[in-house]
Formats: sequence, structure tokens, C-alpha cells
Amino acid sequence: MGRALKRENPLEVRIAGLSFKNPVMTASGTFGYGSEFAPYMDLNKLGAIVVKGLSLYPRQGNPGPRIVETPSGMLNAIGLQNVGVDDFIERKLPLLKGVDTHVIANIFGETVEDYVEVARRLDAAKGVAALEINISCPNVKKGGIVFGTDPNEAFKVVSAVRKATRLPVITKLSPNVTDIKVMVKAAEDGGSDAISLINTITGMAIDVERRRPVLATATGGLSGPAIRPIAVRMVWQAAQVAKVPIIGMGGIVTAKDALEFIIAGATAVQVGTANFIEPDASVKVVDGIEEYLVRKNMKLEELIGSLRSG
Amino acid sequence: MELKAKILYNDRLAEGYFRLGLSCGMAEVRAGHFVMLKVSNGLDPLLRRPLGIYRPLGAKGKGAGVELLYRVVGRGTGILSLKRPGETLGVLGPLGNGFADPPEDRKIVMLAGGMGIVPLYMLAKKARGATLLFGARTKKETFLLKDFRAMGLKIKTATEDGSAGTKGFVTELLASGITPETTVYACGPVGMLKAAAMITNKAGAKCLVSLERSMACGIGVCLGCAVRTRARHEEKENRFYKMVCSDGPVFDSEEIDWDVL
Repeated sequence: MGRALKRENPLEVRIAGLSFKNPVMTASGTFGYGSEFAPYMDLNKLGAIVVKGLSLYPRQGNPGPRIVETPSGMLNAIGLQNVGVDDFIERKLPLLKGVDTHVIANIFGETVEDYVEVARRLDAAKGVAALEINISCPNVKKGGIVFGTDPNEAFKVVSAVRKATRLPVITKLSPNVTDIKVMVKAAEDGGSDAISLINTITGMAIDVERRRPVLATATGGLSGPAIRPIAVRMVWQAAQVAKVPIIGMGGIVTAKDALEFIIAGATAVQVGTANFIEPDASVKVVDGIEEYLVRKNMKLEELIGSLRSG
Repeated sequence: MELKAKILYNDRLAEGYFRLGLSCGMAEVRAGHFVMLKVSNGLDPLLRRPLGIYRPLGAKGKGAGVELLYRVVGRGTGILSLKRPGETLGVLGPLGNGFADPPEDRKIVMLAGGMGIVPLYMLAKKARGATLLFGARTKKETFLLKDFRAMGLKIKTATEDGSAGTKGFVTELLASGITPETTVYACGPVGMLKAAAMITNKAGAKCLVSLERSMACGIGVCLGCAVRTRARHEEKENRFYKMVCSDGPVFDSEEIDWDVL
């Protein structure tokens, strides 16, 4: 190894003890298990890959139609279809070996015990840098109360996962709450090392000719640029109380969109729906942020939460 | 990678029907392949539109293009219909599995409902002496057969209003003359495909269908275009659902659970 001066990387950020080469990650559920995008982009350019949500057992997902386009957005009701944590570890994770980026595993369950067991299995796997807990699921044991909308339930699941793993834990918050600050506090109290937000916003579309919901499940999660102002607002609100780093997302397509989140208080961002339209959207976001930092002669860390008042 | 496709022509064939020629250096295409087309540079409509490839244009390799036939059915195709030659469109493709070349030792029947004829053009080129059964609502749609007439196919038409060919559904033409040695290649409305699946199953014939579903990505990651298969829980892969974009769009009709499609 040469002893050349290590150049400081202006895009580097640190979250929960991990160093990320840049603040751009791909959002869970929009990037498969990562390797699917290798033909379309250089995966090494990503700050992190957040893989499709994993459950203890494989899940088949919902019947179709599962998606519908809406103004500047889309509704989805995929139903958390995934291969299950064991198959992921055995067959999907090895495909990312050699890719120079962090792999973050998104996890979910229908009981606290499910979450804990998934976390345990990923903890023992090599190549997972952190866990992102999706708390937007109904707790079947508690009569279907969604973990993500009840701060007590959120606290329980986060603290249980926290105890079950040595990996950094990120809690992904649902926007379908009255006061996001309460949920931020619950995640932090549970021991979350970071929070990410927002997940999709519950929405609905109706086929007026047939007078039926378009989606087979009636309602679905709205994503895409349509939700970005809501997401920016919630990240900004969360940043006013959060002690842990925030990963912001919701309708990011361009670097300018991502910068809004960072200035509002996010340490990193995730690109989601845009991956469906431009498979290399996240790389373009990285490049655009870099250009902005050069132009402003700033480091990313200086930009985080740098919103000027009024 | 996304290809920047230059529009060579975007000709109106009939009311609401267009033929789009793109120069885009696309890899080799086969019958049943499709592309995802970005019709707007803005955010609305947000998603790409899946469109079936009709035929390749020009020499293979660099500069080669594709021709698409489309019908204006909504905002996306409406915007597309206004595009002029010389404009560029972002294209992903060719996507999907496509039809395998028809085996020489099989009797080939192609079954198309309306625009379902699009993926059959390249197949027809490789299926000498095949039968083409074409179904439409009215005679107006029979212009879609023009390119097929010089191919030496046996063409039979059915229209719902009886204005051309036999009156009724095209699947009624399918019922006669198929044997266990027949392979049916079908594309069209779900009702037609469902009937074709039943008829071929009964006759012991093979039937390959090309399906259409709403999709966001076209590359197998959004999981939006799922169709239910007859797979059971205990079977390998443990997947009830297959994706039209990446597992299909061509499926063996026996694989699909038609009751819930």
C-alpha cells in the first residue's frame, strides 16, 4: 500500500458508526436484492443498498392488480412479497459479494418475535452492514394494530430487535401518523441508531367505470414525487427532535430533491420509486450532490440541517 | 442501460392506431419482446409505458432499431402519438422472455385479438404454413392484417359484429382443427386467452400466451405485474406469483391460474 495522502471525501457521512462513501442509498422494495440492477449501473457508486423487506418465511404477496399510476406517483400493494430471510442469506446476499457498498437489510414481521428472529439470522450472516426495521406492519398478536402508528408498539419492536443484534439498527417510520415526533422518540427510546422516513402514504384509486378499487387490496402505499413535500416536511419536523441521524426519502428523483432532505436535516437519503423509471437514478443523484458541493465549496456534513430560517 | 431512441416515424395507421419507428442500437429482438418507453421528460405521467415490439428495423447491431405498433388507450399513449420524427425517447429493452422459435414438427396456430397481433409478426416470419386466427370487434381493425397477408399464412378472421369474417369470438375458430400436435401462440384480451387455454387443454394441444399487466419497472423489481400461477406452496421456489415483465410475458397457458386473472 502506498502512503499517498488520503484525500478527504466530501460526500462521506457517518451513521451509527458506519462510514458511507456518499449519502445516497436505494430504498427498500424498489431495488430488489440489488444484483438485479447490476446490468444498469455501477453498484459500487452507491452509498448503500437497502434490500427488499425480509420476513422469517417467504411471502407470496398480494393478488393483482398491485400497482396503479397516479399523478406524479404510484400506488402499490405488493404485499411484502419476498424470498424469506434464509433464502436471502443463502442465495441473494452472495450475489453482492465484492460490491463495494454497504448492504442494509430491511426486516419486518407480524409479531415482535418474528422481527427478533429475522434480526438474529441476519446478525449471523456475513455481508450485512445494518438492519432497517419496517414498522409499518400490523401486529397480528395485538389485533392488527400497526407497529408504526402506535408509539408503544414501535418501542417494543425496536427495543426487542436492538437486543437481538450487534448490527446498527435503523427504524423506518410511517408517515401515517398525527405527530411524527412521537414516533421518532419511540424509536430512539427503543435504541434505534438512526431513523429513516418516510415510508409510503396510504392512498386509494377508484375505477369509476367499474366502481371498484383499482388495487385488489383497495388501498395501497403512495410513492413518487407526489409525496415529496410531505416527506420533506416530516424529515424537517423529525430533525427538530431527533438525536440520532435521519435518512430521508420520499419521491426523490434528482439531486436537487435529495438536497432538500439533507438541508432539512437528513444525514443520508434513499432513492425509491425513481429506480423503477431510471434504473441508475441514484447514481445521477450522487453525481448531482457532488457537483452542488463543489459549487458551494462545502462538505456534505456542513450541509446537513443547514436550513436557514424564514 | 437506457437507450436514447430517435423517432424515425410515428405514423397514424387508422383512428387511434400508430406505427412508431425508433433508431436506437438495440440488441437482437425476438417475437414477444417489449420495451419500456418514457413518453414524458417530466414527472407526470411518471412511469414508462410497456409496448410490444412489432419488428426489428435495419441491420443488426449498431444503429438498428425497432418498430412498435400501438393504440392510444390513455394519457401515455396519447402523448406518444403527438411525438414527431427527430425527437428522442428514452427506451429500456428489449425486455421479457419472448416466444421461442416455433418447432418444425408442430402444427402452428397463431391466435390474435386486436392489438394482440403485435408480438406475432416476427413469429409469423418463422412459421411457414401456419394458421393465423384474428379476432376483432369490427372490420375496422382488420387493417392490422395487412403485413401478414403476403406471408403465405392461412388467415381466418372473426369479428364480434360480423362486419368481417365469421361473426363471433375468434376462439370459436380455434376449437376446430387443433390436435395434440398443435402449438397455439396467443396474445389478446384476457377473456380470449382464458378461452384459448381451456380449448387447447381439452384438445391436448400446447398453448403459449403473451400476457399484459400494468407494470412500473419492466425489469422484475417492482413486483407490480404479478400473475398467479398454479404452483403449490411446497413446490420449488415457493412462488405462487410470476412477474409478467421478467418471467414472461410469454407463459405456458397451463402455468397460469386463469380463475383469478
